[in-house]
Amino acid sequence: MALLRNSSRTRRRDTSGNRIWVWFMLPGTLWMAGFLVASLLLVAVLAVGTTDELGNPRFGFDLSAVRALADPAYTEVLARSLGYALLTCLICLLIAYPVAYTIALYGGRYKHALIAAIVVPFFANYLVRMYGWSVVLSDDGPLLRALRAIGLADGGTKILNSSFGVIAGLVYGFVVFMIIPLYAALERLDVSLIEAGRDLYGGPVRTFFFVTLPATRQGAAAGLVLVFLPAMGDFVSAQLMGGPDQIMIGNLIQDKFFQGQNWPLGSALTMLLMLVLLIGMLGYLRRTRKDEAEALR
Amino acid sequence: MTLVSTPTATAPARESARTAKRRRGRRRPRVLIAITTLFFALLYLPIAVVALFSFNSQKSLTVFDGFSLRWYRAFAHDDVLIASLGTSLRISLVAMAGSVLLGVALALGLVRCRTRLGSLAGLIMLVPLITPEIVTGVASMLLFKGLGIPLSTFTVMLAEITFSISYVTVVLRSRVAALNPEVEEAAMDLGATRWQAVRLVTLPALLPAALASAVLIFALVFDDFVLAYFTTGVDPQPLSVRIYSAIRFGVQPTINAVGTLMLAGSIALIALALFIPRLFGRRGGLDLLSGE
Repeated sequence: MALLRNSSRTRRRDTSGNRIWVWFMLPGTLWMAGFLVASLLLVAVLAVGTTDELGNPRFGFDLSAVRALADPAYTEVLARSLGYALLTCLICLLIAYPVAYTIALYGGRYKHALIAAIVVPFFANYLVRMYGWSVVLSDDGPLLRALRAIGLADGGTKILNSSFGVIAGLVYGFVVFMIIPLYAALERLDVSLIEAGRDLYGGPVRTFFFVTLPATRQGAAAGLVLVFLPAMGDFVSAQLMGGPDQIMIGNLIQDKFFQGQNWPLGSALTMLLMLVLLIGMLGYLRRTRKDEAEALR
Repeated sequence: MTLVSTPTATAPARESARTAKRRRGRRRPRVLIAITTLFFALLYLPIAVVALFSFNSQKSLTVFDGFSLRWYRAFAHDDVLIASLGTSLRISLVAMAGSVLLGVALALGLVRCRTRLGSLAGLIMLVPLITPEIVTGVASMLLFKGLGIPLSTFTVMLAEITFSISYVTVVLRSRVAALNPEVEEAAMDLGATRWQAVRLVTLPALLPAALASAVLIFALVFDDFVLAYFTTGVDPQPLSVRIYSAIRFGVQPTINAVGTLMLAGSIALIALALFIPRLFGRRGGLDLLSGE
């Protein structure tokens, strides 16, 4: 009897508890649904809308904006953006891996300070950092002057206004998103695994490719996604470091909403961007799920 | 260094650790250290350039002519930029308050409430984290235009709150999950109501993380450019939007001064946010920034 009463009391408390948590959750959820979900749906709806004679957006059903995406001018920009973003991912991986590895394995008690020294400035003003980077890369900037002094560049070498400049900008902007997950993975890595590899007479290179790299694969995959997302949507780098031949899909979107005033086309381009990113995300999720399944087996 | 920290190392293990250490000590990873040093140099070079030339007495960005506070004075006397600074501060304060209130409540609800609504809210919350800013910017602008709300400082505040909530929630959620709900139960067994238990037991335990994320949100919103760019009106625009229009049209040394102040300010705030959990006797939180 006492037991029964007790259990019914806990149950009552549980449901009333649930109710109070729903109240906690509700304002934030409603806010997000109202401002976020609704706004993203609006983009999708406007992508199939039209404009009236004055250029104001009209809702309706018209596929002209979506069809316009097949225009070679746009597919070329999309292909370029994809290429830039993927190259940025690759370069970030090549830079971030040794840096994260060095700090995680040889940082000693300065590990945290070193990682903080990377992370803190990266979260400071993006625009000012990119602007400073464009000054560094400029024709009279410190980098090219140093390269000229040691004979690695001549008077005609330029970084700005080239694909190289834009990719350098994207790498500088987002490399931290590669370093954080890689560092976390490398810090978790059991160093005795590397020792074991060495003890089994694997050379440093073999040990790295057969032990270290597979053990940190998930960190690298997370980093690739975290870099790919913002790099694909960026428009500041192409604007500051590139010329008219380097525009990315982000610049097109910005142009359609500000200078061009073609909102349906801008919305269609935005949806296209989202589609590409969604495909990338799904690929990543499938990959990690496979990894997890293998780990369980 | 990392090797010896294993507390349960037995004698032979310690022995092998020592030889390993010696082995590694002999072969110092020169290449790795060189790459890392170069990385740090390139990382700080742009920041150093902006800071250095903000003190240049001439307009040049390549030749340092002599130390002067000329551009800082120019900034202080630029009414438009000062008005923008005020706008940015107001936006950051409102976004900070709004997103921390909504985000903390959402995090509590998400962890404790295991209903279908809870999992749906958890999904919605992740959307801003996987959407690039330009998409959220476009979407917010269309929403405000669609609702007939003229773009202004107010719309920037609304948009910034929306995209900061997720951030606060992600950071706070792991803290809430780490709390023991039995402590709350104990408070209620001792006669506290559910609300009193939350207010007197749970919320104080979340205070360090909430404060840290508040400081961080302030800095991130103050620095944010893309979202502000798409949702701002023409009334004093936020400072970062103003900087953007200035740097698109060539070099303006005043922007170096403003940029240096902004960098210094946000670096100080972010460092403070990382340090706050330590003030409360907890391990410092780099996890704040990694979003885990």
